Amino acid sequence: MTRSKWNEASESLWRRRTLLATALLGAAMPLLPVAATASVPDAEAFIRQIGDEVMVILTDESKTDPQKLAELKTMLDSYTDIDLISRLVLGRYWKTASDVERDDYVALFHELLMKTLAARLGDYNGQTFEIVGSQQVSKVDSTVATKIIRVAGKPPLNVDWRVREKDGSFAIIDVVAEGVSLVVSQRNEVGSIVEREGMPGLIAAMRERRDALL
Amino acid sequence: MARSASMAANWRAALASMAVALLLLGAAPRVAAQAIDDPLEPLNRAVFQFNLIVDNTILKPVTQLYGFAVPDPAKRGVTNFLQNLRAPIVFANQVLQGEREQAGITLGRFMVNTTFGLFGLVDFANYFGIPPREEADFGQTLGVYGIGAGPYLVLPLLGPSTVRDATGIAVDSFIIDPTIYFTDTSWRLARFGLTAVDTRYRYGPLIDDLQANSLDFYVAARSAFLQNREAQIRKNGGGLGDEYESIFDDSFDEEASDDPFEVE
Repeated sequence: MTRSKWNEASESLWRRRTLLATALLGAAMPLLPVAATASVPDAEAFIRQIGDEVMVILTDESKTDPQKLAELKTMLDSYTDIDLISRLVLGRYWKTASDVERDDYVALFHELLMKTLAARLGDYNGQTFEIVGSQQVSKVDSTVATKIIRVAGKPPLNVDWRVREKDGSFAIIDVVAEGVSLVVSQRNEVGSIVEREGMPGLIAAMRERRDALL
Repeated sequence: MARSASMAANWRAALASMAVALLLLGAAPRVAAQAIDDPLEPLNRAVFQFNLIVDNTILKPVTQLYGFAVPDPAKRGVTNFLQNLRAPIVFANQVLQGEREQAGITLGRFMVNTTFGLFGLVDFANYFGIPPREEADFGQTLGVYGIGAGPYLVLPLLGPSTVRDATGIAVDSFIIDPTIYFTDTSWRLARFGLTAVDTRYRYGPLIDDLQANSLDFYVAARSAFLQNREAQIRKNGGGLGDEYESIFDDSFDEEASDDPFEVE
């Protein structure tokens, strides 16, 4: 065996050892206490799938805007728990509301959310999105952080999705864009109206808003 | 002589407003996103209405004309120029916040854009592959230092703010901004007007959208402003806090909330 051959052999042995060490270290990693920031692959996959589907719809040039909107509405309905969101928004006032008030409120909330979605459709301008990470925040909830990439030179937007798992399936229950939570914003608005004018005042204001958006 | 007198006046105004602000804030704990601190709501609503009237009668029409008459590249130039003018303020605050990397980006962009970019008109840094700048201001710096927002304020013409952030605007505009030391009032007014039009042009659709889709525009604007501000101070890190988490407690699940025997 020449000297160089020997060197080669020892080098490859060394390399194999480092590889083994790395693999062992990798295997030991999950044992380290990093649970607080551990990613939630299922929730991430759920958001990724929705994002991909939305992109397919938005970038499909064979479809008209009303067709796109109809498809997005169906998606929104199946991937978000709008009933739960509306209850979270009403918060403590949900308990004191009558059955009729609850039904009216949930129906109007649903309608207004759809109308807002319709108003935003025209804003699409070639943005793409990427998933940044995810985190389990409670027994049933996790948040998935995404970035919406805009044209060059403009910083990306941070959008976090709160996802609830129930019986093995997922639903979006909040969206937080640049720190602004949909649920918190709506709670602030709804709360201030109910405090001043009660449930009837809130339902009247929602009807008025819906009719204005026709 | 006149220059140094006006400089002294600027300092006095800024220091006075800062003293008042710190007095009001005391050692106020950081306000959680949902606990709204708005003791001046009636006054704030009045100023908000005033701002809306100014917007509808002056700013909106002027901005529409601007959007229609000025070619897009020129409008981009205006945005670039105004943002480049703010670079020293952003840089100083990033340094104060210990954001070395971001401060480096801000400084790099400023040097490239002020020279190759013709006094900031062209965003040349983009072509050089320098990442977009993160914004920073003195209100944010105070927040990063742990100072609470204090009561919500709607400032005439400037819009939503807080005691802390209004203090920040005063310090940024009258102490940190280097242009204050070699420009006169007419230049400052022109810059203010142009900034208003540029901002209205870029964020107008967002504002109109919020107005169209809110039940109470005042509350919606206040909520969005305060939440966004908290996120800027957290640098989008961490969660939204315990109060936010408590919203999502299981107690509002169908079964629980429909239970007629449930006690509050």
